Amino acid sequence: MAGPLSAVRIVEVGEMVSAPYAAKLMADLGAEVVKVERPGTGDRARTRGPFPGGVAHPEKSGLFIYLNTNKRGVTIDLASPRGLSIFEKLISGADVLIHNLTASEMDRAGFQFERFHRVNPKLVMTSVAPYGLSGPRRDWRAEDLTLWSDGGACYLNGARDRPELPPLKAYGYQAGYQGGAHAAAATMGALFAAARGAGGQHVEVSVQESVAAIIEMANTSWPYMGLVLTRYGPKPVQPLDSFECRDGWIFACCVEEHQWQSFVEVMGNPAWASEELFNERFKRGVNYDGFRPMLAEWIGKQTVQDLYHKVQARRVPFAPISSLADLVNSDHLRARGFFVDVSHPQAGTFKYPGAPYKLSRTPWEIRRPAPALGQHNQEILGGELGMSEREIESLRRDTVT
Amino acid sequence: MNQPPPLTGIRVADFTWVWAGPYCTMQLAHMGADVIRVESETRLCVSRVTPPWAGGQYGVNRSGYFNQYNQGKRSITLNLKHPRGREAALRLAAKCDVVINNFAAGVMDRLGLGYHDLVRARPDIIGVSLTGYGDSGPLRDYVAYGPAQVPLSGMSALTGYRGWPPMHVGFSYGDPNAGTHAAFAIIAALYHRERTGEGQYIDMSQWECTMALIGEGILDYTMNGHQPERDGSRDPSMAPHGLFRCRDMAETVAGRPVDMWIAIAAADDAEFARLAAAIERPGLASDERFSTLAARKRNEDELEALVTEWTSARFAGEAAEALQRAGVAAAVCATSRDLAEDPHLASRGFFVELEHPEIGRVKHAGIPWRMSETPCAVRSPAPLLGQHTDEVLTEVVGYGAAEVAELRAQGALK
Repeated sequence: MAGPLSAVRIVEVGEMVSAPYAAKLMADLGAEVVKVERPGTGDRARTRGPFPGGVAHPEKSGLFIYLNTNKRGVTIDLASPRGLSIFEKLISGADVLIHNLTASEMDRAGFQFERFHRVNPKLVMTSVAPYGLSGPRRDWRAEDLTLWSDGGACYLNGARDRPELPPLKAYGYQAGYQGGAHAAAATMGALFAAARGAGGQHVEVSVQESVAAIIEMANTSWPYMGLVLTRYGPKPVQPLDSFECRDGWIFACCVEEHQWQSFVEVMGNPAWASEELFNERFKRGVNYDGFRPMLAEWIGKQTVQDLYHKVQARRVPFAPISSLADLVNSDHLRARGFFVDVSHPQAGTFKYPGAPYKLSRTPWEIRRPAPALGQHNQEILGGELGMSEREIESLRRDTVT
Repeated sequence: MNQPPPLTGIRVADFTWVWAGPYCTMQLAHMGADVIRVESETRLCVSRVTPPWAGGQYGVNRSGYFNQYNQGKRSITLNLKHPRGREAALRLAAKCDVVINNFAAGVMDRLGLGYHDLVRARPDIIGVSLTGYGDSGPLRDYVAYGPAQVPLSGMSALTGYRGWPPMHVGFSYGDPNAGTHAAFAIIAALYHRERTGEGQYIDMSQWECTMALIGEGILDYTMNGHQPERDGSRDPSMAPHGLFRCRDMAETVAGRPVDMWIAIAAADDAEFARLAAAIERPGLASDERFSTLAARKRNEDELEALVTEWTSARFAGEAAEALQRAGVAAAVCATSRDLAEDPHLASRGFFVELEHPEIGRVKHAGIPWRMSETPCAVRSPAPLLGQHTDEVLTEVVGYGAAEVAELRAQGALK
């Protein structure tokens, strides 16, 4: 069985996370993706760890090899006119171009939808830009941290009771992943429209907006109530909090009343739980500091797995705070075949996170590891674009490829 | 000339609730799908009974949580405990291209609305189950909410201040993330159906979807047996890289000051030199404590203190503007107020203010993408509970008005 996108051809010009993750989501469902990198250094993700043995190497970056599975790679200098004309040949047969050049980089390189649309009228071009392609901040310098902050996510996190400490970003490159996931959904929509005869078009995705769209109650707290949501003070629903058990950490989670009542039974119906201050959902939010110590004391005497299974048997959605070892050794994830072994010729063979969804007829699949820098220059420029050995050699000499 | 949005003509029966499923189906509604949320008066969606409330006043149609994440959908109420409610649900599903639920594994089967029942009603249907743990494996009956996905996925163990316990990320991140991934997978399945006529079943686990966001961290473990140390907001490849204190917001809110912070990241030595000049300490760029990344990482506490001296005397917005003028990646650590009043987002038309029958015109976040030929738009505000029950049952499902009255009298539409 082939993936649902096995007839889709994609050219990606992606750095770091956002556009590469979008193209990976499509590649892992069968799309043929050609990734275009800068000659010499390639995608900046190649400089980011983790690396096997902690030794940096451009072909062994854990970030790069994770985000670029199922892609072939070519090197083209898009800043040179010859490079851009080769690039136009490459996109002339593509269904999708997805990139994350910034607005100002696009201006400098002449990297414009109108131009590519003349070359290929059926092309869906997706531009994933930090702040989108318009507005006062379109040319702002951005990194993942600044976008997670400017999208309103970062302010919500941090120590509850230590105002001297700064807000805390989430691990990794979450703004990039969200920009990428939203870009994949929007690109897929445009491809579906194209399949129904809409032709090519330009899809623009803002990473800031992709974060600003998902911040839960913080989207409406100001317009609805004039509230600034902070990491301090009471939350509307509690407990949604981490606790230390005898042998590790557990996340206590009671959203609905019946979940709290079941948990109270598991605790053996302590007298404090029926007190006026704590006996209703919203009161538990307001008065959380009043009963948190009692919870901490009781949970502190339990073991993680025992408490987790005991409350889940009553349909209370606690979760252990998993270490990476817990994930890789999980019987549940093993039974679902989540982790997949991928052999990369230089980095080695490791388990990678697998399918985020299981499609019954058109499965997710890893068909090849991430490409080495320029690995498929000959195959694609010569074999598929029909350039001669001499042309390719001359491009290489002039560092166009 | 503009063409209709991409999913025009696609109908979705949405049996999901809380946030993950609703975030998914909102993406489909943004793209033009007719999304019909199947709700119940007897078991209200958690988001309808969760704040913020419009004007501070509780009401099932007044929650900003629900109204933000259900824009552009219709709502009907069906009592799935009643046989005729279930029958109406199955008849509705047969008129839909996509049927999605986020009940625990097995619940839809017991209601007679499982994928096999749906396929009998409509062979090319796309059935989607979006559960916490997926619909197979030893923990398939376990339940999860978005906030619990952050710790369960390994993200909490990687997030936190140095030397501190694992921490959360501050919101129910597992939900919208699963929703976006689900929307992508559903449109991919629709694309496959468009080309082959085949429907299919999609099994999604929020847990697995959340692990996709920490892939490089997981590889550190599978490559090296290494659990990365939590390191606040720092980055091994950049320094400074963090949140720095600014002056409190100029006004108090509810009588209290609001602390403000700025995010700053210097990607390389050149950017650090620009930062040093912008904070009026140009000498730092050639100071041997800070002139290279390795030196800045060694002396990062000291470096952060120097940056804080400059930021803490300024408002966050002014500081971000000044650093950006100097070519430094910086941004306000935006509060919910900053976001709602963000002139950049406003100039891009990100916000949506449609007339809602109960709360009027209030600002909501809109669509994070633009399409040049098939423009997407939020076409209607979030629905009132059961607002479209009659029209959907008559116009979509094909009941007569008298039958609808009968169903209502029998308690099948509660």
